[in-house]
Amino acid sequence: MTSAGNFIKAIESGSKHLVIKRFTFRYPEQKLKFVGDGYQFDPKRGVGIAGYRGRHILFHDKCTGCQLCAIACEGIAEAIGMVKVDESWKHNKKAIMPQIDFGKCVFCGLCVDACPFYALFMTNDYELSAFTKEHLIYTPAQLAIKPKYQGDVEIVIDGRGATHG
Amino acid sequence: MTSLEDKFEESKKLGLQIAKESEDDRLMTLSVGPQHPGSGHFRFIIKVDGDYIVYCDPDPGYVHRGEEKMCEYRNVIQNIPHLERPVIHDSNNITYSYSLAVEELVGIEVPRRAQYIRALASELNRQVYTLYWLAIYGIFLGHSTMFMWPTGDRELLIDLLEVLTGARVTHAYNIPGGVRNDMPDGFKERCLRQVRYLQKRFKEYEDIFYNMPLFRQRTEGVAVLSKEDAIKLGVTGSVVRASGIPYDIRKAEPYDIYNEIDFKVQYMKTGDCFARSYVPFLDMKESCHIIEQLLDKMPQSGEVRAKLQPNPKGPPGEAYRRVESGRGALGYYVVSDGTPKPYRVKISVGSFRNMLALPYLLVGQKMGDMPATYWSLNYWPVEADR
Repeated sequence: MTSAGNFIKAIESGSKHLVIKRFTFRYPEQKLKFVGDGYQFDPKRGVGIAGYRGRHILFHDKCTGCQLCAIACEGIAEAIGMVKVDESWKHNKKAIMPQIDFGKCVFCGLCVDACPFYALFMTNDYELSAFTKEHLIYTPAQLAIKPKYQGDVEIVIDGRGATHG
Repeated sequence: MTSLEDKFEESKKLGLQIAKESEDDRLMTLSVGPQHPGSGHFRFIIKVDGDYIVYCDPDPGYVHRGEEKMCEYRNVIQNIPHLERPVIHDSNNITYSYSLAVEELVGIEVPRRAQYIRALASELNRQVYTLYWLAIYGIFLGHSTMFMWPTGDRELLIDLLEVLTGARVTHAYNIPGGVRNDMPDGFKERCLRQVRYLQKRFKEYEDIFYNMPLFRQRTEGVAVLSKEDAIKLGVTGSVVRASGIPYDIRKAEPYDIYNEIDFKVQYMKTGDCFARSYVPFLDMKESCHIIEQLLDKMPQSGEVRAKLQPNPKGPPGEAYRRVESGRGALGYYVVSDGTPKPYRVKISVGSFRNMLALPYLLVGQKMGDMPATYWSLNYWPVEADR
């Protein structure tokens, strides 16, 4: 094809997109939909369950204070520290539970892989911004809260193109 | 009024190395980078005679993090999150060869389904990288549509990887012994739908970018790297394939299940900037076919992760394994002394090899061809510095 033809083809290809719905979406009003409730790990089978790796969730009734998550994090981000809690559990004599500093966490999820008691999982919550660094340190009580996350935007592909519908 | 000499002294203090050779010298030294909007933590010093570059000296090392030394203080699994930092856009491939090398050292049998899944993840991730690279190549040449389109379409693949691995860029998905988690339900259909849409989009990319006469004029016949020079310099990946050598690690040293996959090594013979920019694009098209085959041939169920101790260790020994990454051969040389921590890890990256060709290609070029040449080398500064 001649070079003029190539120019016309390029303009034609680009101008088609004037009438196609935009690909981006309005973030704070709309949020992405995730598959599952977040990354989890099954220590019996030794394999993870697919999900988004966001903020952790800690189940106080399962955590024994064994510190394996803190040991796993030692060489990675050193984000997990064990702190005293004012709770008395039969399975947690020392009454220590992990506290996670999300200013350091890299969200690799290897602490979840290390937990043998189904106590530490990850959730879909990724909105962790805070005004100070101290607010990024989540205590065991904060980690126990189930996040309220409601997203419903998915990638839709139809004949005219792909959008976040 | 400050004199020229004072200004020169001042600029030298500021680190703007616009050095003056001598009073009557016609050469001017320019420092491109490290804060150049495209060079990305990398500087090369060029000397120009008018509009022509007569000398080029690459100066990498601005983002050296000591990844290799860091590996010696962590056990093989703790190494994974920091090893993918050099190329977060291609993080599956950079941990792939590491996993292969550690598996060889420790002696782990990887389940077949895991081999397919991680090959699939690395194919998807290679395309993510190439689209990002293509976007920057577009904006380097002043084509802002080509910056927006791949950046947007990259989202489709990132979305797939997010569903599969749980993270958008730093996946930490490959692990010695397989992959971290199985594919979620309905992933195959979703993957096929989005990859097929991407294949349609590639036709539009050709229309608006590769067949565009303006782009062709800026890249065709510019900075030609001949076949012989490519072999002598030891470049890898798309750069060596653009110079007429069909060399791909997936074909030359098939790892995992690549010997069961039917694909062609894409290459071109011209060795100019156009070929170097077109070969990764052809690779992406071929990669779409590979993904379809992988999804087809994958065992429907089975283990995805071999059982491992928390601190895997093998007998003393060494292993060298490499994979084809977005930038060429990416190899890991791991030496073990029998303890859970590796004795030595050497990362051999494609970026660094490709960067070595830069001084040879830039000399004799016009100043305006510098961005087209530099980014066509498929060079990722952070990976080269490690």
